[in-house]
Amino acid sequence: MMDGSSPTHTDPASKPAIDPDRIRWILATDCGSTTTKAILIEKVGNEYRQTQRGEAPTTVEEPFADVTVGVVNALTEIGELAGRRFIDDAGNIIRPATETEGCDIYISTSSAGGGLQMMVAGVVAQMTAASAKRAALGAGAIVMDTIAANDKRKPHEQIQRIRELRPDMVLISGGTDGGNTHQVIQIAELIAPAKPRPRFGGEYHLPIIFAGNRDAAPRIREIFRDGFDLAVVDNLRPVLEQENLGPARDKIHDVFLEHVMAHAPGYDKLISWADAPIMPTPGAVGDILQRIAERDRINAVGVDIGGATTDVFSVFGGVFNRTVSANLGMSYSISNVCAEATMPKVLRWVHLDMDERELRNRVKNKMIRPTTIPQTLEALVFEQAVSREALRLAYLQHKEFATTLKGVQQQRTVGDLFAQGSASHSIVDNMKLDLLVASGGVLSHAPRMEQTAAMLIDAFEPEGFTTLAKDSIFMMPHLGVLASVHPRAAMEVFERDCLILLGTCIAAKGHGRPGKPCFAYRFTPSVGAALAGEMHVGDLKLIRLTEGQTAEAEIVPDRHFDVGAGPGKPVRRTIRGGTVGIILDARGRPLELPEDRADCRARMTRWVADLELYP
Amino acid sequence: MRAPIVRFALVSCAMLVVGAVRTHAAPPPPVEASAHDLPWDDGTAIEITWRAPESATNIAGYRVYRLLSTEEQKRALRDRRVAAADVAWKAAYESNTSASDRIELATAAATAAAERAGAEGMPDEVAVGTAAANALRYVAAPVESGRAIAFRVRSFDADGNESPAAEAGSAAATIEIFLGTRAWFFPLLIGLCAIIIGCILLARAGRPIKVRRIAGLDAIDEAVGRATEMGRPVLYIAGVQDMDNVQTVAGVTILGRVAKIAAEYDAKIEVPTARSLVMTAARDVVQTAYFEAGRHDAYNPDTIRYITDEQFGYVAYVAGRMVREKPATCIYMGQFYAESLLLSENGNAINAIQIAGTAESSQLPFFVAACDYTLIGEEFFAASAYLAGEPTQLGSLFGQDVSKLIAMVVIVAGVILSTLGGLGLSMPKAASDYLANSILAS
Repeated sequence: MMDGSSPTHTDPASKPAIDPDRIRWILATDCGSTTTKAILIEKVGNEYRQTQRGEAPTTVEEPFADVTVGVVNALTEIGELAGRRFIDDAGNIIRPATETEGCDIYISTSSAGGGLQMMVAGVVAQMTAASAKRAALGAGAIVMDTIAANDKRKPHEQIQRIRELRPDMVLISGGTDGGNTHQVIQIAELIAPAKPRPRFGGEYHLPIIFAGNRDAAPRIREIFRDGFDLAVVDNLRPVLEQENLGPARDKIHDVFLEHVMAHAPGYDKLISWADAPIMPTPGAVGDILQRIAERDRINAVGVDIGGATTDVFSVFGGVFNRTVSANLGMSYSISNVCAEATMPKVLRWVHLDMDERELRNRVKNKMIRPTTIPQTLEALVFEQAVSREALRLAYLQHKEFATTLKGVQQQRTVGDLFAQGSASHSIVDNMKLDLLVASGGVLSHAPRMEQTAAMLIDAFEPEGFTTLAKDSIFMMPHLGVLASVHPRAAMEVFERDCLILLGTCIAAKGHGRPGKPCFAYRFTPSVGAALAGEMHVGDLKLIRLTEGQTAEAEIVPDRHFDVGAGPGKPVRRTIRGGTVGIILDARGRPLELPEDRADCRARMTRWVADLELYP
Repeated sequence: MRAPIVRFALVSCAMLVVGAVRTHAAPPPPVEASAHDLPWDDGTAIEITWRAPESATNIAGYRVYRLLSTEEQKRALRDRRVAAADVAWKAAYESNTSASDRIELATAAATAAAERAGAEGMPDEVAVGTAAANALRYVAAPVESGRAIAFRVRSFDADGNESPAAEAGSAAATIEIFLGTRAWFFPLLIGLCAIIIGCILLARAGRPIKVRRIAGLDAIDEAVGRATEMGRPVLYIAGVQDMDNVQTVAGVTILGRVAKIAAEYDAKIEVPTARSLVMTAARDVVQTAYFEAGRHDAYNPDTIRYITDEQFGYVAYVAGRMVREKPATCIYMGQFYAESLLLSENGNAINAIQIAGTAESSQLPFFVAACDYTLIGEEFFAASAYLAGEPTQLGSLFGQDVSKLIAMVVIVAGVILSTLGGLGLSMPKAASDYLANSILAS
């Protein structure tokens, strides 16, 4: 065990290998900007379960200026709840575990102090610069700006911007291997003289990761020789037809740990405690989502809506993407959501009669008092309406970003004469979406699970069969890191304790006149009698199917509607129940609400009643 | 024996008398015949009108004659004498094969025949056409514009007996400002112009005009970006025709857009041309594009070169250039013939992104098979409006599309009317005839 008073910079990778079968007690923390959240995972019988959780204020800032103080406080709370001591008298984590005290594994993620903030650069904004952005976002960073040769800014404007930013590190890409060197070097020559100042300390050498044309590497080394900490990794786009994000992402994690975290208050001690490298929180969320999608061979989308930002993660066809919508959130950014979406768009989700002026006041109050929560039904309905728009806009941005590679050669035949689609298209396909996971205050803490399900359905508009779930206590970051040292424990906890299954949404894609047949359904649950019926265009229906139950579903859509097999083609599938159940959505896709406020309210009132959303 | 002979003789005489009477009973001439200039024409027709004589039952039609001038009469007489002499000369020459003086004999016969023909007198009229019995109008065309010409009309019966002439007087054909036969053209022109102007005004007023996405044009950014990332040039071919070809004009227009993107991306653009005038125009367009992008310093006129007018000489140069320089992007916009596949196959072999656009339908399959994106006919011409996104151009494009839609509706209506007319319905047939002969003929 390390001595907390004299921390040593121990590389977690150099610690003795962990024997997964002997692990019984696992502690995990997530050091957020305001709160440090800790969970305890125990081996109960033959399976791992999350048993306790604790919270304490994060202590990165003064007066403590030591992140481990908050960690110790959170772990102490867990210890009290579990009746087990995890912290010794010297303030260190007790390891290895004995029968009465200590833990076997301690892991942590961090987004304290704004998380990992990066600047990325590339030659063409839509090609190498986009790949650099994907690599940075995938590693869990917040991308502060993207510099590109075609970003419409003059060189002096680019230099000014670089000087204004205070990134933790810079990722430079550009050119295929053997391709453009001239502009890659130009970008480096913009960044080096601009001397961007890092956030932590004057003696800190800003880390630069170069993942561009290998022919440009020698010259890049010369340019960043003094005053920078340069790392050269494999090209993100060795050829335009291929994207190689792995080496750059790994290097970002290494640099985050070695440079950024090591300079943050108390992180050197935290690093020495941890049995796995400390990861940026969003990076860990992405990791666990990828693992789940890979294991179950499904397509999944995860969303984390916060006060200032909304993160969207997706895995489609094994390709992971993450976006951070910096100005879409439920407190600091709520005003921006209302401005971007416009108030009429927000109000279309409100079934009550509300005064627009009063709502604007409500928005501004939320902005200046971000920690307040709705006290009345009206306030709750309005907040959930805003969240629908925030989620919708964030998902829209995600779809635009998560595309196939640009600049790739196409092969066509004469048969394509009248059907020449664009080469680059979004890989996000709602019809292929299997699992939609929600997290973040407005979704996780909604008074009724039906409200969470309704917000997800209205904002994401899933098509076909989609399982809805929510992260119970935002455990995904912990499990993301745990998966790297003990995958079995991570998966078991994810299945049993992390996700709260809301149920399954079955939605038909297409349009029709209200009242016309949309699809017929027949459910044969594992327990109980079969149920059949018909949905008409504009209908929404909730069928209770409790958690743990499954049902054989057969959906026969009208010829204008598609539920996954093509227009008019029936689909049979086994679906899972949840705390909400099965939601049948015959409102059509894309979802269109009446422009007229009275019509819209009437329709929303009906849907609210159908889903039993509010008392 | 005598009685039958006498009876036969009497019957024969009666028949001869009746025949003689019928032979000489010519129909009455038409009345109120008059000639006047045909209104709303191009000055090449005179209209002759008349009225049918009262109580005329045996009229089979009317024959219109043009009166000849003195000069024309002389010319006609001369022609008649020459023709008679020719016939006589030839007959005499061929019938006196054994005579030693056959030429003299033939010449004497020809001279005699010419004198006989001359003695018959000079004709003062020439038939110009006939009209049916129920048609009381004839248009003589073409006639010499501005010269007074006299006409007369005779009716004729089923045996060809003509009535005495009804003088129609003379008239001179004059050129009118508007051509009456194309009267429909005017409302059609006004209507189509109104549609286009209306659409332009709507677009300018802020009415959103949606233009279908054209993948080939959207891909230009991507294609130039590829060239930039790969550090290779963009090759642009504006067809193999000169600037008088509308496809070349469209190709050079799109070149402006490509050059602007290349300037913004700092990519190199090469434009080998097959016509010297195209080179001049292309240099102007590219220079303007570089100025617009704020990169006038990067403009290099030497990358826009004239190669040769020879089709295959040009192709040989471009293909060789492709193989040596391996451009990352090849764009073909203009009129192409056999070189379409030669160029695009070379581009495919060097793994370039290729975008083609042509209205030459025979070359489209080759481009589609070998290129990444192909603009087809109208898409190619709509490119400038699509790329500019400027309301006036978009409004004009929308107006043209509305006009084409109207044309399509008229075609479909014509097909339906014609089909119904073919089934024996008189109204649809009349309507389709009017459509074809009056409206569309204009």
